[in-house]
Amino acid sequence: MQEATFLILTALAERSQHGYGIISDVREISAGRVQLRAGTLYTALDRLSAQELIEVDHEEVVDGRLRRYYRLTGPGAEVLAAEATQLQASAAKALSRLRLAGGAT
Amino acid sequence: MSEHSSAGPAGGGQPESRPERGPGLEQRYRRLLAWYPEPFRSEHQDEMLAVLLASAGPGRRRPGLADSADVLKSAAGMRLRRVLAGAGQPGRADALAVFSLIAPLFLVTVSLLEVALPYRFPLPAGHGPGVRFIEQLFGSHPQIGGLSLFSEPGFAVALGGQVIIAGLAIAGRRRLALAAVALAAGYWIFSRYWIPGPLQVLSTSVYLLEAAALLASPGPRRGRQLVTWRHGLVLALAAAAVQASALADDRASPLLRFAGLHRPGAASYAVAVALGAAAVLAAILLRLNAYLVVVLAAAVYPWAMQLSFIRRDGGPLGLFTPGRLAVIYLPPLLVAGAAMLITLERARGAGGGQPAERDEPRPA
Repeated sequence: MQEATFLILTALAERSQHGYGIISDVREISAGRVQLRAGTLYTALDRLSAQELIEVDHEEVVDGRLRRYYRLTGPGAEVLAAEATQLQASAAKALSRLRLAGGAT
Repeated sequence: MSEHSSAGPAGGGQPESRPERGPGLEQRYRRLLAWYPEPFRSEHQDEMLAVLLASAGPGRRRPGLADSADVLKSAAGMRLRRVLAGAGQPGRADALAVFSLIAPLFLVTVSLLEVALPYRFPLPAGHGPGVRFIEQLFGSHPQIGGLSLFSEPGFAVALGGQVIIAGLAIAGRRRLALAAVALAAGYWIFSRYWIPGPLQVLSTSVYLLEAAALLASPGPRRGRQLVTWRHGLVLALAAAAVQASALADDRASPLLRFAGLHRPGAASYAVAVALGAAAVLAAILLRLNAYLVVVLAAAVYPWAMQLSFIRRDGGPLGLFTPGRLAVIYLPPLLVAGAAMLITLERARGAGGGQPAERDEPRPA
């Protein structure tokens, strides 16, 4: 799974969000390292919707502009959980090996 | 319904009120978003516009470079994926299968027409050294095409190669046909039996497309199941148009131009154009697969360009400039490249392995 996809799914894990909210949340989750842009975001949202990992939660109009809120689906949550577990295991392994090598505490 | 229910308004803080921005910014964003395919645009344009405007700083009048590049990149990627997804549909793969069968037959037909329909013309008496030079070489009634072509060693070998490829295609031997195409195209390109070699350049595009069709389709065996008299009729008309254009080009060869006899009459163009138009019309009226028509058009396109080059400066296609070569090869290369991308997509879709064995026929 690409990092952007992982971060988008993570942004939707807790609550439904609209596009701008996802961008802001991804920036926060990644500590400012990943700056999603609209083109990349909506390409990913379109793909994730097609894969039924996310779905539209509701829509509202603010200042005459459409806000569409997305949320994680059940399969989406499972995929995210599996990916997070995998990343956690890999990270734990990396830290463990670094400790063995005396490179980290 | 997912267990993840709505949680109300998003965090992330999209500006609740619209800050002041340049009046043309929204319009410019809309123009950028127009690069997306229509289905995607109708689904996401409004919300993307809202996000782009919200992301733009106050006072901004033009889309930022990074946002523009991101939109264009994702729009281009989306269009390409849609093309590939469409190209991978059975209808298009079948169209390539038919092409892989009929393209070698097309080349053989063109060569046989060259032999069967020689063009002979009398040299005017009492002209300058150019005419006398031609007379010394070819006699008082030079002939283009006909059985004399076989005295050119390259022609017999090239025609033999075309016949072998056609035979292998008819027999449904995809891999052997592919190998034969590679050998024949290599020989054809470098033999230069014909001065200045326009035929090599022109028919190379057919070899190129044939190779792509053999690789990217279920193969000629599948094509054999699908081919009908309608394909034969369009093929015959296209071959006749190509032969007519070749005659026009031959009459404008450097040798004849040197002799001051290089101007083919308007009738030469009219016949070639009329036959080409008849081929296109027949393809439409007979409801040939649109993708097959595109590939066929790419195959015969160099001959059409040949006519336009002759018309423009009276010179032969043999005077190849890099620009002309680019103009000649670009469309066939693009079509062949798209066909190859289909193969890669399929291989990837099948789990990264090789494309499925395609010498075996699939259900129609």
